[in-house]
Amino acid sequence: MTEPLVTPLLELRGLTRSYGSLTAVDDVDLAIARGERHALIGPNGAGKSTLFATVAGTLRASGGHVLLSGQDVTSLPEADRARRGMVRTYQHSSLFLDCSVLDNVALAVQRVHRVAHRFDRAARRFRHTEAEARRHLDSAGLSGRARDKVAALSHGERRQLEVAMVLATEPALVMFDEPTAGMSAAETERFVALMERLPEQLTVLIVEHDLDVVFRLADRVTVLHLGKVLASGPPEAIRADEAVQRAYLGSARAEDLFADSGGPR
Amino acid sequence: MKAEAEAMRGDTGAPQDTTTSVLEPLRSGPGAYLPGRRRAVVAVAVVALLAAAPLVLSPYPVSAMTRMLAFAVLVIGVDLLTGVTGLPSLGQAAYFGVGAYTAVLVGVHITPDAMVQALAGLVMGLVAAAVTGWVAVRARGIVFLMLTLAIGESVHQVADTWSAVGGSNGLAGMPPISLFGGPSLLAAGFVYWWVLAVAALVFAAVALVVSSPYGRTLRGIRDNEARMRALGYRPALARYGVFCLAGAVAGVGGALWAQQARFVSPGDMGFEVAALALLSVVIGGAGSLWGPCLGAALVLFVRDSLSASIGGHGPLVLGAVFIAVVFLMPRGLAGLTGTRARLRNLTSARRRKENAS
Repeated sequence: MTEPLVTPLLELRGLTRSYGSLTAVDDVDLAIARGERHALIGPNGAGKSTLFATVAGTLRASGGHVLLSGQDVTSLPEADRARRGMVRTYQHSSLFLDCSVLDNVALAVQRVHRVAHRFDRAARRFRHTEAEARRHLDSAGLSGRARDKVAALSHGERRQLEVAMVLATEPALVMFDEPTAGMSAAETERFVALMERLPEQLTVLIVEHDLDVVFRLADRVTVLHLGKVLASGPPEAIRADEAVQRAYLGSARAEDLFADSGGPR
Repeated sequence: MKAEAEAMRGDTGAPQDTTTSVLEPLRSGPGAYLPGRRRAVVAVAVVALLAAAPLVLSPYPVSAMTRMLAFAVLVIGVDLLTGVTGLPSLGQAAYFGVGAYTAVLVGVHITPDAMVQALAGLVMGLVAAAVTGWVAVRARGIVFLMLTLAIGESVHQVADTWSAVGGSNGLAGMPPISLFGGPSLLAAGFVYWWVLAVAALVFAAVALVVSSPYGRTLRGIRDNEARMRALGYRPALARYGVFCLAGAVAGVGGALWAQQARFVSPGDMGFEVAALALLSVVIGGAGSLWGPCLGAALVLFVRDSLSASIGGHGPLVLGAVFIAVVFLMPRGLAGLTGTRARLRNLTSARRRKENAS
């Protein structure tokens, strides 16, 4: 492996997070270049979600550092990290259920446009903000549902809305937490297509159980096991890695692990 | 990225306007609210109808309606906190009381000008909320409710014991109000028109806030505060802002209340007032503005007018109404109008689902 010549967009140095005596994330080093599609996989209980939340700032790190474009953001709260361009989605859709679909995206846009605390005019009079929100709904394929309440959306549509919402924050790094969990095959297909259309300069960190999705989307894959990085590299190398196969199945049978009809759940 | 956002905000030319107008028809789709123009017509009609009341009613019901309007102003503030932002408060009566005492003190010592009194009530309500709210907005849910209750009770206690504001006797001797240096407004009808005008203004102002980007921010906080943080918001500041705003609204309501009664006592800012305001919001439908106003009228009607004719059993009726609303109309009075649109929405959603599968 060669050292990156430019500063990675996201860098983790010895990142650790413990719950009492349990160390869920243990001394993780990771560097993700700008524009990279990086997948984080690992068996249940590997610490993926904890690592994810610690990077996003939802959880505080117990040790180590998180660097965004070379700047240490370890001590910043989640909101400040989001303002600097690192945003996350949630494993279970986390939306504003009693608000309209348009409102959900507009909430993201109006923060970026810095009009979120204006109360001198009706929101629809901030035409630029509204148009921008609608543009994001369009590209997520939800333009027909702008006025509906989120509560009326299907599971897959909510996932699409999540994507529209994080993109509306104009992020540098988007972190997806198991985005296709609970999706039907058709919904997953539509979601992967949406992910493939993401702007190229966008950096993506994705935690995903469905290995088909992982190997279709990712440039690089990191495998987490018992809180530690077990392997990290291009998808082909990970596929061939024996330690990874042992961690997943206890025995090395690649054809079981990477069968075409989805990975272990 | 900042510069980018800046540049984009500056660039609000014609192209955006056409985008929005092309998408305009979407608004009348399922789940749409009343279109703007129709809503304005309804609002004007309601205000006109209310304004006609003194022409046909005798002074007693007119002053009862004046009190309802003043109380409705308090309730609008409570609704802004509870219904829009999701912060149920039992402390708003404190700021209502501060506004009422301020108006009486200004009336007795400084000027009978109704406008000055109302503005003073607004400012003092705002200041009181700004001072006490800083603690309250750090909490949520039941803790917030208890903190506001504590604030309400403390302020009530101060009014009840502090001799400078009359202690438990309250403050009397407020001269009748006047407007623009004119003669005293003695007739119940004139006071009513003044209170109606201010209440309509407050309603319009709060409706604007609710429809603004800030209103959207508040609804976001109500629905999912953690997500707001993940989007880069700092919700504590927005919550503090709305708390101050609701305090200012309550202060105006208190001033109007005092101007009608020309007297204020600790009873005007007690727990009962706070609880009735919250009850009005629940009965009317939290989050809608006109629903809670209707709720306010209903609650005061039962307490002040109906109660006397049923042997003082008003609270019992209110309790029954409350239970009936909770079970039969979970969206309150305001939920009754949207029912048809919601049903349509529901069936279309179901159809869409069936098509998808």
